[in-house]
Amino acid sequence: MRLIRRTKAAAAAVVLASALGSTLAACGSAGDDSGKGADVDVAENAADQFDDGTRMKELAEAGAIKIGVKFDQPGIGFKGAADDEPQGFDPEMGKILAASLGIEPGDITWTETISDNREPFLQSGEVDLVIASYSITDERRKVVGQAGPYYVTGQQILVRSDSDIESVDDIKGQEVCSVTGSTSLDNVKAKGAKPRGFDTYSECVDQVLDGTVDAMTTDGAILLGYAAQHPDELKVVGDPFSEERYGVGYSKDHPEMCEWINDTLTQSFEDGTWEDAFDATLGKSGVDAPEQPTLDPCQD
Amino acid sequence: MEAVFSDFGEYAKAFGLTCGLFLVAGLGSLVWGTFLAALRVGPVAVMRKASAAYVGVFRNTPLLVVFIFVAVALPKIGYSFTFIENVDVGGHHVSGYFFRACVALTLYTSAFVCEAVRSGINAVPLGQAEAARSIGLTFTQTMQEVVLPQAVRAVVPPLTSVLVALLKNTSVAAAFGIAEATAQMKSMNNDHADQRIQIFLLFAVGYIVLVEVLTFSSYALERRWRVA
Amino acid sequence: MTAAGSSASGTGTEVIVALESVDKWFGDLHVLRGIDLSVRRGEVVVVIGPSGSGKSTLCRTINRLETIDRGSIVLEGQPLPQEGKALARLRADVGMVFQSFNLFAHKTVLENVTLGPIKVRGTSRVEAEERARALLERVGVAEQAQKYPAQLSGGQQQRVAIARALAMDPALMLFDEPTSALDPEMIKEVLDVMVDLARGGMTMVVVTHEMGFARTAADRVIFMADGAIVEEGSPDEFFSNPRSERAQDFLSKVLSH
Repeated sequence: MRLIRRTKAAAAAVVLASALGSTLAACGSAGDDSGKGADVDVAENAADQFDDGTRMKELAEAGAIKIGVKFDQPGIGFKGAADDEPQGFDPEMGKILAASLGIEPGDITWTETISDNREPFLQSGEVDLVIASYSITDERRKVVGQAGPYYVTGQQILVRSDSDIESVDDIKGQEVCSVTGSTSLDNVKAKGAKPRGFDTYSECVDQVLDGTVDAMTTDGAILLGYAAQHPDELKVVGDPFSEERYGVGYSKDHPEMCEWINDTLTQSFEDGTWEDAFDATLGKSGVDAPEQPTLDPCQD
Repeated sequence: MEAVFSDFGEYAKAFGLTCGLFLVAGLGSLVWGTFLAALRVGPVAVMRKASAAYVGVFRNTPLLVVFIFVAVALPKIGYSFTFIENVDVGGHHVSGYFFRACVALTLYTSAFVCEAVRSGINAVPLGQAEAARSIGLTFTQTMQEVVLPQAVRAVVPPLTSVLVALLKNTSVAAAFGIAEATAQMKSMNNDHADQRIQIFLLFAVGYIVLVEVLTFSSYALERRWRVA
Repeated sequence: MTAAGSSASGTGTEVIVALESVDKWFGDLHVLRGIDLSVRRGEVVVVIGPSGSGKSTLCRTINRLETIDRGSIVLEGQPLPQEGKALARLRADVGMVFQSFNLFAHKTVLENVTLGPIKVRGTSRVEAEERARALLERVGVAEQAQKYPAQLSGGQQQRVAIARALAMDPALMLFDEPTSALDPEMIKEVLDVMVDLARGGMTMVVVTHEMGFARTAADRVIFMADGAIVEEGSPDEFFSNPRSERAQDFLSKVLSH
């Protein structure tokens, strides 16, 4: 009895939601009252566009895709304890890519890929794509495919408002926090800082707030998010001193995915969905969408 | 492979830090844990209870939680032990992070040391302590002169297990600001995605070598004391 | 003959230890019932009785290896203090010999005997060792001084234990069934040392099953049963004419062979 009622209610919700969706699409509005992200137009009959035997065709026909993202980076990829799905620029890019295969956002399986898991998960097929602040490097391209970049950011420094540190040149000998084993931490170590690795960025923020470390560092976008949360206590200082080019990871077993990813990214640059995605996520901390990056050509 | 060998200095330095944590926290745990064990078998009922409560709390708390308490929670309420940074040890200054990590490891490990030592004390026949007391030795003298020297032999095997666990537990400090071996492994893995398995194996070998050195010394001690 | 043994010790009038209305329970078990006992300087008191009669427990309460639940124990004029330094000082004056010897297993014979004098009395090592060698000589194990207890026979170990107690110059010696763990051929060597001590005027409380020793060396025999002192008297009186039924029964069993 109860089960039937619930099923009916769910069915009603689906109808309502799809009705709303089509209305919004018809108006061409990018408005978003839930604040969760930008709207994505899902391609129809997407499977027809891909050649037989490609991974894209398989995914489109299956109507489902598994995407690995970060769950602990506000603005980039973050999933709070109460959230149903991760939010941030990376998941938005995932939705855009899935949409081009005709896959609804609700049919995406989100998997948390911490830094250590990104290559193994791609290699084992645990996920189809990794979009997890995944900087493109030559070493990584030896074991997995990386298309893009879809976003270029740079490392900056977050300090207490009353700190004397003004730029990366001042961190020599200072204790600087970031995530254990991250490239950011290596970079400040190379600049003479004492690296202090913690498990998550939020722990680093706590350490900066209570004065246990002198500064924290990672990609500027993330830092801006934290500074916005504590405008009176924290500030981001100095120019970016590294270039991190975020790419979309895919398995080397499916090299054909590179062209598809690049084509979809190019299209999102042109039709404004990329900028919408940025504004709805990283852009919330007040920064304008940066220039669209130039994509690396696919190798093979 | 060459990721590690080309950066062997960093590899060695990271394991050096692992050893540093192990030695300081190991010494601290032995002293503090033995003291707790003495309280637990001692004549003062309040101290017996207090020591048992300590063991109960720290043995049943995950090490990670102890670390969060010492390295994150305490600094938040103003106890960051940063005074230690003014202490000069042969021209080097101890960092607050290193000290906090050692405190966390010591608090945790001493509960296990206490239990290992207590089992050793229980292995010494009661008559030994009675004889010591009957010639007028105080409780402290009885422990020092008669019970502990005999307990040590029975304690070596369980204590070795505790210390091996400590050696591996130092890796938890990787997530609390210490660039020890596990942190270094993560860093190298991040930089050299194409050599993950080799990096992992080389760091595993590092830990295995250290543990083997530890167990070998313990066997040697056991053999030497068996003869005496 | 017994008279010769006891009169030689020359019992004085000064009370060394006095127990008054002592009760003790192990859980529900009433192990000591209203014990009154005083021992004078130079006196040799032998406590006998069936096993489980509480005689060992009685012996162990005198230096507070067992606590009591009621009554009082006064040692050399002072009530037994609580656990602590004062008790340790008092124990130093009461020598104890155990059934299972309890020599310190990790120390040599010589170290066993010198530990107390050095740590408790503050005697110098040289002096303590000299004294220890003399005592080991006296109990007949001087040549074993550098060995570890495990290398000695039971009889030798017990004689070392007696030397260890004597090294503290005790005012009173307690013997808790000192020969019960020994092979028969070794009992005599230990008893000989004890008889020697008794003759030398040492105040002794001896819990034993050795009736021969009681006859030879005791000034007074205490017979215990079910936690109470049932009968006491001179060895002559007790062994030739026990008054209580319990004592008669006990003696008929132990003396029938």
